[in-house]
Amino acid sequence: MDNLSLLAFGSDGWGDELLSGLLVTIQLAATTLPLGLLIGFAVAGASLSSHPWLRRFGRGYTTAARGIPELLTLFLVYNGIAMLLNAVWRWLDPEAGFVELSPFIAGVIALSVVFGAFSGEVLRGAFQALDRGQIEAGQAIGLSRWDLFRFIKLPQIWRFALPGLGNLWVNLIKDTALVSIIALNDLLRMTNIAVGATKKPFTFFLIACAAYWLLSILSEMVLARLEERANRGVRRA
Amino acid sequence: MNTQVIEKNSSQALEAPLIARDIHKSFGELEVLKGISLTSRQHDVTAILGSSGSGKSTFLRCLNLLEVPDAGELIVHGQQVRFKHNRLGEAVPEDEKLVERIRARLGMVFQQFNLWSHMTVLENCMVGPLRVLKQPRAEVEARARYYLNKVGLDNRVDHYPSHLSGGQQQRAAIARALTMEPDVMLFDEPTSALDPELVGEVLLVMRKLAEEGRTMIVVTHEMAFAREVSSHVMFLHQGLVEEEGAPEQLFRQQESERFRQFLSTNF
Ligand SMILES: Nc1ncnc2c1ncn2[C@@H]1O[C@H](COP(=O)(O)OP(=O)(O)O)[C@@H](O)[C@H]1O
Ligand SMILES: [Mg+2]
Repeated sequence: MDNLSLLAFGSDGWGDELLSGLLVTIQLAATTLPLGLLIGFAVAGASLSSHPWLRRFGRGYTTAARGIPELLTLFLVYNGIAMLLNAVWRWLDPEAGFVELSPFIAGVIALSVVFGAFSGEVLRGAFQALDRGQIEAGQAIGLSRWDLFRFIKLPQIWRFALPGLGNLWVNLIKDTALVSIIALNDLLRMTNIAVGATKKPFTFFLIACAAYWLLSILSEMVLARLEERANRGVRRA
Repeated sequence: MNTQVIEKNSSQALEAPLIARDIHKSFGELEVLKGISLTSRQHDVTAILGSSGSGKSTFLRCLNLLEVPDAGELIVHGQQVRFKHNRLGEAVPEDEKLVERIRARLGMVFQQFNLWSHMTVLENCMVGPLRVLKQPRAEVEARARYYLNKVGLDNRVDHYPSHLSGGQQQRAAIARALTMEPDVMLFDEPTSALDPELVGEVLLVMRKLAEEGRTMIVVTHEMAFAREVSSHVMFLHQGLVEEEGAPEQLFRQQESERFRQFLSTNF
């Protein structure tokens, strides 16, 4: 078989398998992003809180989640949460069989935990970079806390945090490959299967590279546009 | 905690939109305000003078509750603000919504302008009326343009603050406060951060506002402005009013030796 027919869609080619793997990768990253950001905001808020226990929790979370290999986090989530679920399940219904956590959900949780820790640090820095005077101007005009956050703080946090978050997003796309280990059929796992079947590692790994590159290049183009918008009103140095 | 709003009769509220009595404020051990009172009647222009560190900014910030007084009375537009103490022993207002309403009635102009950097000049002027007063957009935009025109920025409405000179930024900040149509305008050294050649354009705008009969409280080091524009002068020293009165008297003759010295070094 020549290289082109290797990639054909259908039963002889690997095109459809690779494409479905790519879609899983994208779904994984795209689902993790909002969840991870939500955790990030919560962790940043906790770290900056005036409440000492919340502050300790924020710092503890960041240290714990950043301090272990992501692969280990993934195993902990995949096995640990499954065990927990089953314990609860069996306590509720002793007759119940063993349920398995879906690898996709385990992947999303593990990646969100990690993304939350790193984005929390980026967001904390952005919060701290806010100009006190501009916040006071918002208070002085009578804005409520929520409106002050929405209309004054958030757009500027976004501006300060966007480059760092962009980096984390590109990393996240690559980190999704870790879930291939827990049998989720993402791009890398499908590539591996194709290599095993065809004994053409070079061809297929190169194709996988190209797919990941494509994702990063697209991401960077979107990020550049977002940054341009977020930086409106900022004078170039 | 229940809200205690004392509604004074409206004629009194109109007569004196802002009354502060015996305001005290400490930062930790440092007692910055030791009992300052001020009644701002309609059309009053009060100039607050004093050397650096005498508590002028802190007093002004107590008036719109950017700082919460430890003790004293504050009545804005006939509504009294009540305070309580939180678990850390800090003074906090009893009713946050009342604070927001009061702030909407007091326009604040800062030394550092504090325009919102991610919005154009026009957007800066529109946020408060849209979000706080919840007025319709078309009406707010027309009023914002009117005031921007008034401060001489009609050809800068779509500029971002970073593309304006300091004097233009401060005039935009004044327009932002005016678009809220406040009862009282508070100025905290509005020209102190400006290059000398830009001071005049801002003072000119402020003079015009005073001539129109706006009620203003102005912390300033511009003695000529205080003498010519204000109707009442307060000289603060170490958190107390050292001397106050009508400018035509106060600038001719001073009781306080300190005030005399202050004037001789600041003119
Ligand atoms: N947030 C604060 N925390 C601690 N000290 C403060 C704070 N704000 C002002 N001060 C102190 O209060 C005193 C009066 O300050 P301020 O009201 O800014 O004086 P002025 O405006 O007359 O120069 C100064 O000694 C200043 O250091
Ligand atoms: Mg000051």
